[in-house]
Amino acid sequence: MARNIRFREALREAMVEEMERDDRVFLMGEEVGHYQGAYKVSEGMLDKFGEKRVIDTPIAEGGFTGIGIGAAMVGLRPIIEFMTWNFSAVAFDQILNNAAKLRQMSGGQFNCPIVFRGPNASAKQVGSQHSHAMEHFYATIPGLKVVAPAYPSDAKGLMKAAIRDDNPVLVMESETLYSVKGEVADDQDAVPLGRANVVRQGRDVTVVAYSRMTHVAMDAAAQLEKEGVSVEVIDLRSLRPLDEDTLINSVEKTHRCVMVHEGWPYGGVGAEVADRIQRLAFDALDAPILRVATLDVPMPYNAKLEQLCIPQPDRVVAAVKRVLYRGQA
Amino acid sequence: MAKILDMPKLSPTMEEGVLTAWHKKEGDEVNVDDLLAEVETDKATMEFRAFDKGVLLKLLVADGAEVKLGQPVAILGKAGEDISALVAQTGTAAPAAPAAPAAQAAETSAPAAQAAETSAPAAQAAETSAPVDRAAETSAPSPSGGGLGRGNANRPAEPRARGSLLDRTAQEGAPREANGPRTAEGRVFASPYVRRAARERGIDLQGAQGSGPGGRVVARDLDAIGNGAPPLPNPPPKEEGAGAQRSTEGAGAQRGTEGAGAEGAAALVRRGVGVPATVGLAEPEIRPLSMMRKTIARRLTESKKNVPHFYLTIDVDVEKLVQFREQINGELESAGANGKSRDKSEPKPPRVSVNDLLVKACAVALARVPECNAQFTPEAILVHQRIDISVAVAVPEGLVTPIVRNADRKSVVAISGEIRDLAGRARAKKLRAEEMQDGTFSISNLGMFGIDGFAAVINPPEGAILAVGQVRDEPIVRDGNIVAGKKLMMTLSCDHRVVDGAVGAAFLAELRSLIEHPMRIVTG
Repeated sequence: MARNIRFREALREAMVEEMERDDRVFLMGEEVGHYQGAYKVSEGMLDKFGEKRVIDTPIAEGGFTGIGIGAAMVGLRPIIEFMTWNFSAVAFDQILNNAAKLRQMSGGQFNCPIVFRGPNASAKQVGSQHSHAMEHFYATIPGLKVVAPAYPSDAKGLMKAAIRDDNPVLVMESETLYSVKGEVADDQDAVPLGRANVVRQGRDVTVVAYSRMTHVAMDAAAQLEKEGVSVEVIDLRSLRPLDEDTLINSVEKTHRCVMVHEGWPYGGVGAEVADRIQRLAFDALDAPILRVATLDVPMPYNAKLEQLCIPQPDRVVAAVKRVLYRGQA
Repeated sequence: MAKILDMPKLSPTMEEGVLTAWHKKEGDEVNVDDLLAEVETDKATMEFRAFDKGVLLKLLVADGAEVKLGQPVAILGKAGEDISALVAQTGTAAPAAPAAPAAQAAETSAPAAQAAETSAPAAQAAETSAPVDRAAETSAPSPSGGGLGRGNANRPAEPRARGSLLDRTAQEGAPREANGPRTAEGRVFASPYVRRAARERGIDLQGAQGSGPGGRVVARDLDAIGNGAPPLPNPPPKEEGAGAQRSTEGAGAQRGTEGAGAEGAAALVRRGVGVPATVGLAEPEIRPLSMMRKTIARRLTESKKNVPHFYLTIDVDVEKLVQFREQINGELESAGANGKSRDKSEPKPPRVSVNDLLVKACAVALARVPECNAQFTPEAILVHQRIDISVAVAVPEGLVTPIVRNADRKSVVAISGEIRDLAGRARAKKLRAEEMQDGTFSISNLGMFGIDGFAAVINPPEGAILAVGQVRDEPIVRDGNIVAGKKLMMTLSCDHRVVDGAVGAAFLAELRSLIEHPMRIVTG
C-alpha cells in the first residue's frame, strides 16, 4: 500500500525509522527539539526519543558540526540539521577539512558516517544571503556524497540510505518542497545512492534536473508535449556519485540535452553533467548541451526579480526549442 | 569521370610522406602501374604508381611537398574534362609550394576561422562588460528574461553563440582548421551526431547546407542529404586520427618550412621546437627532423619505454672464427681465380665478413633456442617458426634494419651476398618497406667503428637484439700459458617479458659454442 504524504513527513519517517532501527543514530541542530523543527521536519521526535537523541544546539554551526563529526568518528551516526544550507557556510571548514578528509587522512582507521541535511536553494524572498544553492560547492568535494530528492518517496529512501552509509552524506532538501505531497510506499526502503531516475519517458530531448527543478522540468515537459515535443526528464537524485549510465543512455536516444538547476551558471553540477555527456556521448549529440540556471547575480529580494532569476518552465521550454533548432535558422 | 588521387599508404607505418619528385606532369598520359612520383616515407623512398589509366589533369602538390596520408595530390581523368568541381573540393587552387600545403589551406580556405576571430572580441566584450552572465542559456531572450539581461538579450542570437563556441575552441589550443570535409567555402558544420550517422550510412556531407545556426547540418537535415547526395567514394579515413595527429605535430609546420628561406625556417622551427632564446649565447644550428629521424625517435622511445630490457654480455675467443673466415675467403678467392677464363672486368669475388658468420651463427643458435626468437603480445608469446634476422645498417640519415629471411636455411656466402645487397640499397634509399618489416631477431655491429662492446635497444616487436663489438687482440690463457689471442664482446638485450635470464644465457652458450667451433656454423 502507499500513502500520500508530505515531503517533510517522508523525511521524518526516514529519520524515525532509522533511529528506531539503530540507537547510534541521533539528530542535532538548531530548533530541532523543543520548537519541533524550524520547518517542522522533526516534529514530535523529541517526545519520542528524548533529549539525548534529539539535541537542540546553540546558533553555532561550526561547533555542532564539529561535535557531530567527532561523534561519527567514535561510532555514533549523527544527523546534523542545518536550519538552511546557507548556514553551513559557517561550518564549511568542518565539512571540507574534517568530514570529507578523515577517512583518507587516517588511512581508513576512522569512518565518518554522518548525515548533514536541511533546506537548500531559493525559498520565497529570503534575500541574497539565504537563497544559495550550496550543492554545487559540496558536490565538487571528493569524500562527500550529495543527494537532492524531488519527491517524498525519494526523500524517505535517500534519507535512509544516507543514514546507513558509512560516509558523510549531504541531503539537500527544499523549503518549497516540504509541503509537496507524493505517494510513498508503506515499505519504502532505502534508495541506493548514485542512481538517477527517468521520471518521464521521451524521444526528442533529455532534460536533467534534481530537487525542486525536477518539478519545473516536468511542467516544461507537459507544456512541450502540447507542441508535439517529446521530453524525457531525468531526476538525478544523487549529485555525487553521478549516474552516468542513465544520462548517457538517454542522450544516446534523444541526441539533445538541457540541464536545469538552481545556482549560478558558472561551473557546478550542470557543467559537470555537460562535461560527462559531451565526453562519453559526443557522437550522440545533435546540439550543444544547454543549461538553465539561476541568473548570474546575487538573488534579488524583490519578488518579481527573484522569480525572474530562478529557472522557470518557460525558460526550460525555450532552451529545449533551442537544442531542437526550433524557430530559428 | 575524373577522380582525385590521394597519397597512398606506402609503408605500414606511414602517416605522411614527402613527394620528392613527380615523374609525370600535367597533361601526361598515364597507364596502369606507371610511375607517378617518388615519395620519401618514414622508411625509404617509395614509388607511387598509378592504379588507373587516364590523363593527369592536375597536380595538387608540388615537388618537395610534405603530404599527409590520404591528402589529395593529383586529379586523373579524360583529356579536356571539367575538373573545377574536384579542384574546389580539394580546396587547392594551384600546386602548393613545399611550404606546408596544409597550413596554407587553413589560411586561405577558412573564412570560418576568420569569422571566429572577428566575432570573438564581441563575445568577449559581452562577457566582460555584462554583470549578468547568461552564458548558460546563451542568446535568445526568454519571455520573462527581457528585463535583467537587456544587454545580451538584444544581441542577435546566433553570431554570439557561434563566435563564443569557436572562441572557446581556440582558447583550448585545439586546431582551428577542421578535420572534416571541406567545401570551397570552407568547413562543413555538422553536429557530432550527424557526423556519426553520415559515417555509418555512407552519406557524403561535402557541400551540405544544414538548417541549423550558421548552416550547421543537424539531425533533421540527414534524410534530405542522404537522398540527394552520392555515397562517399571511400570512407573518410582521417576523421578520428586527425585531431590527435595534429596535436603531436608541432613538427608538421616545422618540416614544411624547409624549402623556405633559411632564416624564416629557423625562426619557425624555433617557434615550433621551443628553443629558448637565451641572450648572449650562440643559437644552435637547427636541423629539421627527417622522416627517418622521426621514426627512429618514435620507435626507440617506444621500445625503451615499454619493453623491460636486460642485458647479458659474453666475451668470446674468436681466434678460430677469424681463421675460419680467412679460410673461407681464401677458398672463395681461389675458386674465383681458378674459374675458367676469368674476365678482368669481373668484380673481385665477394669476401665473407665476421658479421656474416655471426648472422649465420645466430640463426643456428636461434633454431636451437627458439625462445629467443619470440615476440611478446598481451595475449600470448609468439614463438616464431621462421628465423628472419634484422641487420642494422648505418645510413647518412640514421639507420635502417633490412632483414635476412630464413637465415638458418641459407649458406654463409648467400647471407653475405644478401647483406651486401641490402646494405647497398639501404644507403641508396632503395629498400622496399617489406624488406624492413617483420624481423624476428636483430644484430647490430659497431665493430667497424672501433667499439669494444655496447648494449643495443630492442627493435620492437622482436624479443632480443645482439650488439657486437670489434675483434680485439687480447692476451688469453691457453693450457696454462698466456698467449696472444682474439676476443669479441657481444651483449644480448632481452625483452624480459619474453626472454628470461636463463633462456638468454642458453642462447649465448649455443652462440659461444658455435663461434669457438666455427665449422659447426656451416654444418648447422
